[in-house]
Amino acid sequence: MALLLLLLLAPFFAAMVFVFRSKGANAILPVIYAAGHLFFTAWLTADPGSLSGYFGVDETNIIFLWILSVVFAGVALYNFDFIKKSEAAVLKTTYYSAVLLIFAGAMTAVLMSFNLGLMWIFIEATTLASAYLIYYKAGKNALEAAWKYIFICSIAIAFAFAGIIFLCASIPGVQKPLSFGSLYQAAPFMNHLWLKTAFVLMTVGFGTKAGLAPVHSWLPDAHSEAPSPVSALLSATLLNCAMMAIIRIQKIMILSGLEREAAGYLMFMGLLSVFVAAVYIIRIGNYKRMLAYSSIENMGLIAVGLSLGNGAIPAVFIQAAGHSFSKAAFFLTSGNILKRYDAREISAVSGMMKSDRTTAWLWIGSFVMISAIPPSPLFFSEFKILRVMFAAGLWPQAAALLLLLTAVIYGMSSAVFKMCFGEALVGAEKEKLSPLRYISQTAFIAILTLAGFILAAASI
Amino acid sequence: MTAFFAVIFGMTLIYACATSRIEAYIRALALQGFLLMLCVIFGRRGMPAASLIFLCVETLAFKTVIIPWFLMYTVRKNGILREDEPYLPNFYSVVLATAISAAGFYVSFLMLRSGAMPGVNALFFGAALSAVATGLFIIISRKKVITHVMGFVMMENGIFLLSLSFSGEMPFIVNLGVLLDLFIAVFLLGLFVSRINSTFEEQEVDMLSELKD
Repeated sequence: MALLLLLLLAPFFAAMVFVFRSKGANAILPVIYAAGHLFFTAWLTADPGSLSGYFGVDETNIIFLWILSVVFAGVALYNFDFIKKSEAAVLKTTYYSAVLLIFAGAMTAVLMSFNLGLMWIFIEATTLASAYLIYYKAGKNALEAAWKYIFICSIAIAFAFAGIIFLCASIPGVQKPLSFGSLYQAAPFMNHLWLKTAFVLMTVGFGTKAGLAPVHSWLPDAHSEAPSPVSALLSATLLNCAMMAIIRIQKIMILSGLEREAAGYLMFMGLLSVFVAAVYIIRIGNYKRMLAYSSIENMGLIAVGLSLGNGAIPAVFIQAAGHSFSKAAFFLTSGNILKRYDAREISAVSGMMKSDRTTAWLWIGSFVMISAIPPSPLFFSEFKILRVMFAAGLWPQAAALLLLLTAVIYGMSSAVFKMCFGEALVGAEKEKLSPLRYISQTAFIAILTLAGFILAAASI
Repeated sequence: MTAFFAVIFGMTLIYACATSRIEAYIRALALQGFLLMLCVIFGRRGMPAASLIFLCVETLAFKTVIIPWFLMYTVRKNGILREDEPYLPNFYSVVLATAISAAGFYVSFLMLRSGAMPGVNALFFGAALSAVATGLFIIISRKKVITHVMGFVMMENGIFLLSLSFSGEMPFIVNLGVLLDLFIAVFLLGLFVSRINSTFEEQEVDMLSELKD
């Protein structure tokens, strides 16, 4: 019951947006939706049901569902002010809110899918919905970003579909069920040649959506051109959805005895992602693109963690959750900076401590959380991932990872502190922003700090 | 009979690489859709009636009529006539497309001989591989954004043929969802093409290189 209601919530609210068609309704309806989402997620946690094998919750996706629910609630609060104060026409904000709700609904459906085919459908649906959100500001750059996004991701997802067909081919027998339960059951009997082909195609396809190098090229463009609440959702929740698909198909590989092949592949993509992020972050000029590359880095870390097998699984989930909350806080804060300075270049921003002290502190707080500096929970997950790597004898990879992470922290810290300190620029007048533009980030950072202390207490 | 359709399908791929008129591309895509319907009817005996009807409607209505019609509408509305200067001259495109088709069929022949795939229609499999590769080749070798959309549609046709070449089928709800997604994707891409046409002076991908590090 709760499952069905949770799935139908998004289309219902999207329809309500069109019923009211006023700026107030466009701003408040996503907030109400977020509250409903939280309520039903809590209900599902208490009473997990399943819907005829197509949707359901288990111990893997419930974590991602909670991340989505909480992050969307925070983003919706911020979004309230974003829409309320926006100068766009009412019709435009109506489309924006409706598509935003459909986007959230599609992500919920991706996470809850118990069927690989359905998961594919909803991942493509997230692409189609978010393409409009990326284009929302219009203009040449937004058009370019949206075009690249929808085109690259559609082609990638076509590859993933070819992978699903090959996966079907690898199942012996006439019946080709695509539900994860029956795929896991059939896994030991699958044809290895087809299964390996399917895995490569699907990791490339879903990996593109997850922002793994070398197929990440859409990500910095889309994240930097989208409005900040959308960037926060893209980074903190959409990438997790694609990761969810990779986690599921990796499990099929493990069950059919191809664990080493899958691990090698994920390790390669993961390390390459961290490398790409480090190379670009060191000399980045645009702070929203810096955050986008940091997402690539974190997805790379998650892929590395996944490749290490069972020992690192708790660390993978902590990494995913920690990245989502801190990146959402980071992107929402970047929206405040963009509003105040009207520039995306790092060189155009300085002296935030003088012009907007709260934003500056949130900027530094998000930075501390994302760079895994204690008390960030990411410290514990990255520490754990590195420890498992050393224990498994992966010395060169672990050393490279440490070096690259240091480079990322160096690049980000020089940008963040340059923006916060120094002389305040003329023109960045002390216009007060609404408290709604601060509250979500503060809450996210508080949650993360608390989680960090709990993890510290648990590990002592 | 099905072998004949697979060969004609392969020829449409080479034709698409040989031509530079956009409308000829669209006709090739429509022909591909029609051939796919014939492949469904003649190649998949023993399929449940409901699936057969659904796949026929999908290939005939969507792949043969609606998508080509929508692309044609976009092309005429924006006054796009031909692919003027592709990155590769047409002659080399044809040579490469022929090589791609040959390679696709050769891989499928090798697979057939090694016995790795019982119950696979080797000709369909070869044509499908060639179509996916040719679609990608068109995307990387042409400049106009509308041609890129057509390369994407051609890739999708190849993937459809790929699913036909294996026995066994997808659940109905999956088929339906995939169809819906693809249709919306092509529709959105078409809208973006119009928008690119009105925002930039040229509808070429070279214009889309503003965002970089």
